[in-house]
Amino acid sequence: MMRFSFRAPDTTLRRKLLWWLSAPLLSLWLISSVIDYDIANRFVNLAYDRALLESALDIGRQVKVLNDRVYVDLPEIAVQMLQTRESGRVYYLVTGPENEFVTGEPDLPPPPDPLSGRINYYDQQYRGRPVRIVALQLPIERGKERGLVMVQVAENRAARNEFARQILLGMVLPQMLLIVLAGLLVSHVVGRALAPLSTLRDEVGSRSHRDLSPLPEGDMPLEVRPLIHAMNELLQRLSEALSSQQRFIADAAHQLRTPIAGLKTQTELALRQAPSGEAQATLTQLRSATERTTRLVNQLLSLARAEPASGRVPAAERIDLVALAREAASEWVPRALARRIDLGFEEPGRPVHIEGDAFQLREMLNNVLDNAVRYTSPEGQVSVRVELQEGDPAITVEDDGPGVPEADRSRVFERFYRVLGTGVEGCGLGLAIVREIAQHHGAEVTLGPGVNGNGTVVRIVFRPRRLRAANDAAASFAADG
Amino acid sequence: MRILIVEDDPVLADGLTRSLRANDYAVDSANSGTEADHVLAAQPYDLVILDLGLPKIDGYEVLRRLRRRGAKVPVLILTARDALEDRVRGLDLGADDYLTKPFDLPELEARVRALIRRGQSGSSALLTHGALTVDVAGRRATLAGVPLDLSARELGVLEVLMMRSGRVVAKEQLAEQLYGWEEEVGPNAIEVYVHRLRKKLETAGVSIRTIRGLGYLLEKPDE
Repeated sequence: MMRFSFRAPDTTLRRKLLWWLSAPLLSLWLISSVIDYDIANRFVNLAYDRALLESALDIGRQVKVLNDRVYVDLPEIAVQMLQTRESGRVYYLVTGPENEFVTGEPDLPPPPDPLSGRINYYDQQYRGRPVRIVALQLPIERGKERGLVMVQVAENRAARNEFARQILLGMVLPQMLLIVLAGLLVSHVVGRALAPLSTLRDEVGSRSHRDLSPLPEGDMPLEVRPLIHAMNELLQRLSEALSSQQRFIADAAHQLRTPIAGLKTQTELALRQAPSGEAQATLTQLRSATERTTRLVNQLLSLARAEPASGRVPAAERIDLVALAREAASEWVPRALARRIDLGFEEPGRPVHIEGDAFQLREMLNNVLDNAVRYTSPEGQVSVRVELQEGDPAITVEDDGPGVPEADRSRVFERFYRVLGTGVEGCGLGLAIVREIAQHHGAEVTLGPGVNGNGTVVRIVFRPRRLRAANDAAASFAADG
Repeated sequence: MRILIVEDDPVLADGLTRSLRANDYAVDSANSGTEADHVLAAQPYDLVILDLGLPKIDGYEVLRRLRRRGAKVPVLILTARDALEDRVRGLDLGADDYLTKPFDLPELEARVRALIRRGQSGSSALLTHGALTVDVAGRRATLAGVPLDLSARELGVLEVLMMRSGRVVAKEQLAEQLYGWEEEVGPNAIEVYVHRLRKKLETAGVSIRTIRGLGYLLEKPDE
């Protein structure tokens, strides 16, 4: 029992309640059974003893004295009746005042020595069986003397034991049934009462890590509400901490922009004035470092903005994906041409619409295109396609650059992760932004090799159903935050 | 040409001032909203480069006061904020262009040139591209002063491409510019005009690139 209560991993409320309810019930049942048995025995004995006494009295009535001799005048029919009683065979013994044998079974065990009163009941073994015996003393007159005739009648205990057992079963079995029913009922009721908890568990379990909106209190029982309150307060604090961190990153990135603009302008100016040679080389390096810093700051800002804790509520508007992708691709053409890269666009020839935030989607595409244009060598090709993949809107960006080794493909989505040996300066945030924004839109981003096995294809597939779920989460976040 | 730079970061203000002076503009600079407001109230300028995040009076307020006084001077907003709402707000208040920090110096210079030109002529009547010049009002094109023999449609295509020089122009955009809404014109017709234009401009060193799936782009002349 101790071991049972210490099995913590198994404790469910249901099990605990069942245990705490059924253990006492079962003990009570056991005690009750013992008492019941005792009562049943007593009343059965009482009834059987009375019948036994009747038999003794019947025999007693037939005791006669003739010529100073005691004899019993038992008619054959009475003897038969005594021997074929329902409760089993009866043995009897009649002894006279001097304890002389009169009739019956002479080997019937005698009564306990000091007799108390005229009627005595006692239990004995007779012929290897437990028997109940009644000893009845009857006064007789023999001539001038008075004496006591003893009539002993014995019967097997088996019949009364069987009867007591039946009475006990008749009482105990329905009780057992009631206990089992109570257990089932408790189990069911506990299940019903705990249903809100499993709803809560499903709600928490199915949440994405970015959903920090409060848990619904709705129809939760009063006992559970304090728990939900506490959890919601924790979620609230967590979300505040996250947004303040996001705000800090955003502010920092923001504050960096003006000094970097100054640095960039001055570097550019110096580069124009510097004579060619060492100074020029140094300034060129300085300019490229400034470029990288600029990009990093921009991407940090854009990542901070894309994250849900930024407090920026993404819009949910109907977006013409073809127009949006074409516009984004068009904007990258001059930069691609500057690197002698052929940047093209292919559309499905039919409108493709999604729900989403145009600003973020543009940001996402810009980052994919930035990577494509950056990592493709001069004279290379980059293609942007809008298409339907099994009915789902999709954007793919394919380049014929060096490609991403398979081992790196999932890691490139991590922040600040960069594929080694590309010889290109990047900050490793681009794809993290892409993934962040895609997730907002219920889209899946995958990276794979190009058609001919070289180059890279970034594939963004929008799954409208998942988008709706994401939007709901965002809406409740906005409403409650 | 007088330009006022309103920027509170001294390094950036200095860099802008010196680079614009190198381009032969007369440049003044103000480092606070209040100062800018005073200067703008007192003197005429051909262009204002305005930072939004200024101490005391911010850039929006400077712009609002400027426009309330009825001044038509072109304003180029320069700011660290790049959220769409900020852009829209600036343009709503009467800014002419918007550049996010940090920017490329050549980009800023190009915008400054464009804004000053627009301020000068109301709407730009003369488009130039290297040695190529198109007189929009007079419907004439000249190459190094020599008139070019172009049909009205060819001239239309050239105008649109020159107006968006260095940027992609979709065939649909070209068709809209040429025919208006009523007439339906297939992309094939545009291809024909572009083809003819290319032939006629072969010798001018003007290159009209076809951009796969997107349209055409008039490559910027080497400056």
